[in-house]
Amino acid sequence: MRAALKGLGVTGVLGFTLFPVYLMIVTALNGEANAGSRTLWPDEWTLRNFAYVVGDGGFGRYLANSLVVALCTVLAGALLALLAAVAVSRFRFRFRTSVLVMVLVIQMVPVEALVIPLFIQARNLAMLDTLAGLVVVYLAFSLPFAIWTLRGFVAAVPVELEEAAYLDGASWGRMFRSVLLPLVAPGLVATSVFSFIVAWNEFIFALTFMADEQNYTVAVGLRRFFGQHATDWGAVMAASTLITIPVMVFFVIAQKRLTDGLVAGAVKG
Amino acid sequence: MTVAERTDVERVVPQAGPPSRRRPGTARPWLLLAPALLVMGGLLLYPLFRVLVLSLQDFGLRELVSGRTDWVGLDNYVQLLGDPDLWATVLPNTVVFAVVAVALTVVFGTLVALLLARLSPVVRGLVTTAIMVAWAMPAVTGTYVWVFAFAPGDGVVVQGLGAVGLVDAATADPFAGRLSFFAVAALNVVHHGFPFAALTVLAGLLTIPRELTEAAIVDGAGAWRRFRSVTFPMLRPVFAVVTVLSTIWDFKVFTQIYLMPGGDGVNRGVLTLGTWSYVESFAQSRYGLGAAIAVLLTALLLVVTVAYLRLLFREDEL
Repeated sequence: MRAALKGLGVTGVLGFTLFPVYLMIVTALNGEANAGSRTLWPDEWTLRNFAYVVGDGGFGRYLANSLVVALCTVLAGALLALLAAVAVSRFRFRFRTSVLVMVLVIQMVPVEALVIPLFIQARNLAMLDTLAGLVVVYLAFSLPFAIWTLRGFVAAVPVELEEAAYLDGASWGRMFRSVLLPLVAPGLVATSVFSFIVAWNEFIFALTFMADEQNYTVAVGLRRFFGQHATDWGAVMAASTLITIPVMVFFVIAQKRLTDGLVAGAVKG
Repeated sequence: MTVAERTDVERVVPQAGPPSRRRPGTARPWLLLAPALLVMGGLLLYPLFRVLVLSLQDFGLRELVSGRTDWVGLDNYVQLLGDPDLWATVLPNTVVFAVVAVALTVVFGTLVALLLARLSPVVRGLVTTAIMVAWAMPAVTGTYVWVFAFAPGDGVVVQGLGAVGLVDAATADPFAGRLSFFAVAALNVVHHGFPFAALTVLAGLLTIPRELTEAAIVDGAGAWRRFRSVTFPMLRPVFAVVTVLSTIWDFKVFTQIYLMPGGDGVNRGVLTLGTWSYVESFAQSRYGLGAAIAVLLTALLLVVTVAYLRLLFREDEL
């Protein structure tokens, strides 16, 4: 009885979680998806949709744009967040709590509120329609969460290790590089995965800032395959698969560290 | 490192040693924080101030091009609060949707976590991986897949529901009606949001000492009683964080609504504060009114956040 209930639960959860992914991949591989075939098991399996999307569909360009934006966001974000996390978890200073509360509260600011003023600012600074403009925005979005998560990892490194480095004559900078940095590397992986996903998935700013098709990121480029009258679903799903797979691989690889990081950030630092 | 060495450090370092946690230079933490604060201040806090200023202006295409400002005081707010659409559709859509989505996310996430905690390591690993896959699905592609599955006439889910006789597959349009539109949106949001809840609660569950649960069983407590009297009180901070974050995320859901058929302002019956603000600004070029709507949404979120923060910090000092 209990085992049957468990089995039912496991099947239900697996079905619910995997259904959209399955439908997406199956439709991407369905040779007749563009001809109106809607099924969970296609008659004709093909890679034509992928070939079309990357070739004539111009999606390779969007993938490259997104990759550049995401990597720049990750690198800058990891550096800035690490420095900030060290500050809040290793030093007691005035307004420390205020800074932490701000980092927490700022995550609630809705992007809809930011997109209007940032659009006008970017327009005045001629940053519209540039990938750099997007990087700066995504950096700001990923920082609060990255700082919040990393601070748990930094706090978990015993202070005694730092003090041992000082005793050995290391400067603060040397200690940072040789002791702290290697020990918080797992945390950096977790936050980097998050920053990558923020940048890779972001839609509203990419939609608002980018006018020239050459500068589209994947989230916006997908709209190309929606026709005025009929949608090319085979192509939409093939492109969606190309967007989703890297994120999924990241998630599954970083699974353990990701959840550890969440708990470190959520429960206590 | 041995204990002896450690006590040595304690004795020697405090007075003469290089900067340690006990005697930090006051400037260093601020130097470390400066770049991050600069970015967050310039791109999150300052725009928040700007949107407040914009909401007091009549800001359209003309102002965007010329850079002139046209102050109108509270006109945008008067117009907004006097709009029957706000009270009849937009606000209920936003609030009811968020509340329902958060409740479903937390309850479903907790149930999944309780299930995961009872599985053998191999099966748990398998299910966790599947959950990560759901989590990893980007909002944009996830939304397109759900739209595709519920497409009127020939979507696989519509076909399936038609086959069991729940709807008439030929005529049903899940995106036309307000309730069915948001039901699909909620399914999408819960699918994307429950993994965080499930994995966080699971991590908390695994920290509860076995003896505690066993003692409760010995005392004759049933499953529900054990959850209410042992698990829930132990995990209060975890539930608080999960609920806060889910609420914050679900109130400002944008992509999942905007990309659904009619969600981009075409169907005014399914506007939320987020999509309405965006549509007023970028489709109608009424940036002032759009900013006022955005301010209203932010204020609403601020109230929620502050309420939860008070709840949180009683539990857990930073």
